[in-house]
Amino acid sequence: MPKKQDLLELQWSSSLSEYVTAIAWSNQGQTLAASSASGEIVIYHGDSGEAIQLQAGCGQSINCLSFSVNGEFLATAGQEGIVRIWQMDTNPPQLWSELEYQRVWIDRLEWHPQDPELVFSLGRYAQVWNVPTKEILTTLNFEWSSVLDLTWHPQGKDLALSGNQGIKIWKREDWDNDPQVWHTGTVNQAIAWSSDGDYLASGNRDRTLLVWQWGNPYPWQMQGFPGKVGQLAWSKPTAQLKTPLLATMSSTAVVVWQKSVDEAVGWEAKVLDWHTQKVNAIAFKPGSLLLTSASEDGRVYLSQNTNRVGQMLKGAPQGFSCLNWDPQGRYLAAGGQHGEVLVWTTSRRGQGFG
Amino acid sequence: METETMVPVTVLTGYLGAGKTTLLNRILTYEHGKKVAVIINEFGEVGIDNQLVIDADEEIFEMNNGCICCTVRGDLIRIIGNLMKRRDKFDHLVIETTGLADPAPVIQTFFMDEDMREQTQLDAVVTVVDTKHISQHWDAEEVQEQIAFADVILLNKVDLVEAANLNELEQRIRGMNAMAKIYRTRNSEVEMDAILGVNAFDLNQALEIDPEFLSETAHEHDETVSSMALVESQPLDGEKLNIWMGELLRTHGPDIFRMKGILNIAGEEHRMVFQGVHMFFDGKADRLWKPGETRKSELVFIGRHLEDMSLTESFRACVVN
Repeated sequence: MPKKQDLLELQWSSSLSEYVTAIAWSNQGQTLAASSASGEIVIYHGDSGEAIQLQAGCGQSINCLSFSVNGEFLATAGQEGIVRIWQMDTNPPQLWSELEYQRVWIDRLEWHPQDPELVFSLGRYAQVWNVPTKEILTTLNFEWSSVLDLTWHPQGKDLALSGNQGIKIWKREDWDNDPQVWHTGTVNQAIAWSSDGDYLASGNRDRTLLVWQWGNPYPWQMQGFPGKVGQLAWSKPTAQLKTPLLATMSSTAVVVWQKSVDEAVGWEAKVLDWHTQKVNAIAFKPGSLLLTSASEDGRVYLSQNTNRVGQMLKGAPQGFSCLNWDPQGRYLAAGGQHGEVLVWTTSRRGQGFG
Repeated sequence: METETMVPVTVLTGYLGAGKTTLLNRILTYEHGKKVAVIINEFGEVGIDNQLVIDADEEIFEMNNGCICCTVRGDLIRIIGNLMKRRDKFDHLVIETTGLADPAPVIQTFFMDEDMREQTQLDAVVTVVDTKHISQHWDAEEVQEQIAFADVILLNKVDLVEAANLNELEQRIRGMNAMAKIYRTRNSEVEMDAILGVNAFDLNQALEIDPEFLSETAHEHDETVSSMALVESQPLDGEKLNIWMGELLRTHGPDIFRMKGILNIAGEEHRMVFQGVHMFFDGKADRLWKPGETRKSELVFIGRHLEDMSLTESFRACVVN
């Protein structure tokens, strides 16, 4: 059985008018931001659920949003082709700046892990924007296709873009230099660095997973997935586990990979197959090996030790679309396909009195 | 749990200036009670201000190193995946390709990508032909493929062409594609029922080969792209047929654009139906043969250099001895 402190109970719930496309926590877990397919942006007080609408729905989806590392800014973007930066340290938050582009949907954005610099996708390109100075630092040409995913190395010195046929990695100190290029021969639709930056993983359309050890151009290749490999999630390294776990989602399955101590074995898989419909989001609870998964079957599962169901959460009968832990691991938020926003918190019953 | 219906998808092809955009504008303004979302690859041509007109650049993704049979359109997967979050906002999807686009990756997208297969159903490939100018473009591969892949062909601008030339053109097109429904139009004027809700990729839809095509004994083969029909009244050996089809697709997949058929398999009380696009193959048991019904197999192939594949002989070898 899971430990009691891992059990969650509903803290509050709310709703948007349509499919919840993205949710994100500020670094301190005080604020949750959520967006919808109709273009709404709402921020919630993490504890009380008290809401402030930043933007009403205009009919065009907001596809991505994220808080800067110190929580000063919220970045949002989507089908309108507009990146908006909201200043969060005013009350209510004010629009700080916006960039508008024609004929492009912006699907991906990510803040630099240390500095208020934002990278966002722009069709076949990505741009890096220094938000306080409002200066575009560089425009990177991925070239091979639209940029399907992008991510900063956790140390902040490298930026990886992925898409059709491979991954390109630029050095932040020299944007104009040619990127390091990894040809994969497949469509690299989701990429993620492990939190220590030692590994880069890529989930691919051809039902494979590639994992590189940073510095080694030859990846491990994992096969046998039931479908395209979507979102990836790395656990934080723990005392017992030198190499973090890598969770992947593919069709109805969540597959967790662990690096064997035996080099010849490589990575070993455990399949968590309790969802009955497509899994749309996965995340490890920060600082733990508790894995959460949200699916179109209307369930969120908490899986402890990667091999059994710890708890099942409901609240989006038409299916969950996204899920995210606050960085402190106190709150779990999930969004639903019919606009549901739910926040659970660690059960108080399980806590002792000292 | 909610049972969600698949969104039907119409693919609109045709050479530059053939009348695709006119047709698209008709679809968008016509009061057919359908909310139509449109993906276009040529910006600025649609004269209608509509939230649900999305412009995209063609992105071809290879699923399997270098094999043209395994290419899909990455842009469509991305955009449709995005649109599906608002699926209650539209109930039909139309994709307008550029005049130079190869229709195969568009069609394959709806069969090969798991999310597209789950959420969408290809309704029909509609090709608009500029009857006045097509003679200048015959040699373009795209023109031939757009005709070959079509379920519905509009011979457009018939008011600008003499009847004799038109008949000759129709004959020629029929030789290339014996399955498509052909309509003669001016200004892309056609009944909406003829192009939306066609269900051409539905295996339950009866196979329709132009009877005239079947009755002709000899076809002119001045095109590299042609149609071929095979009819066989003797029952087929299921195993031999499987081997034959596997071998055929392995060796000639890139040259076989589309195929469709009804099969009379020995020992099988159901009709078997199948269809294919390049190397993609889809088949199933259909209804029971009716008492007194003449059991026979009918197959149609559309492709390039079909005459070199010895289809007639190798197919006949599948008959039960």
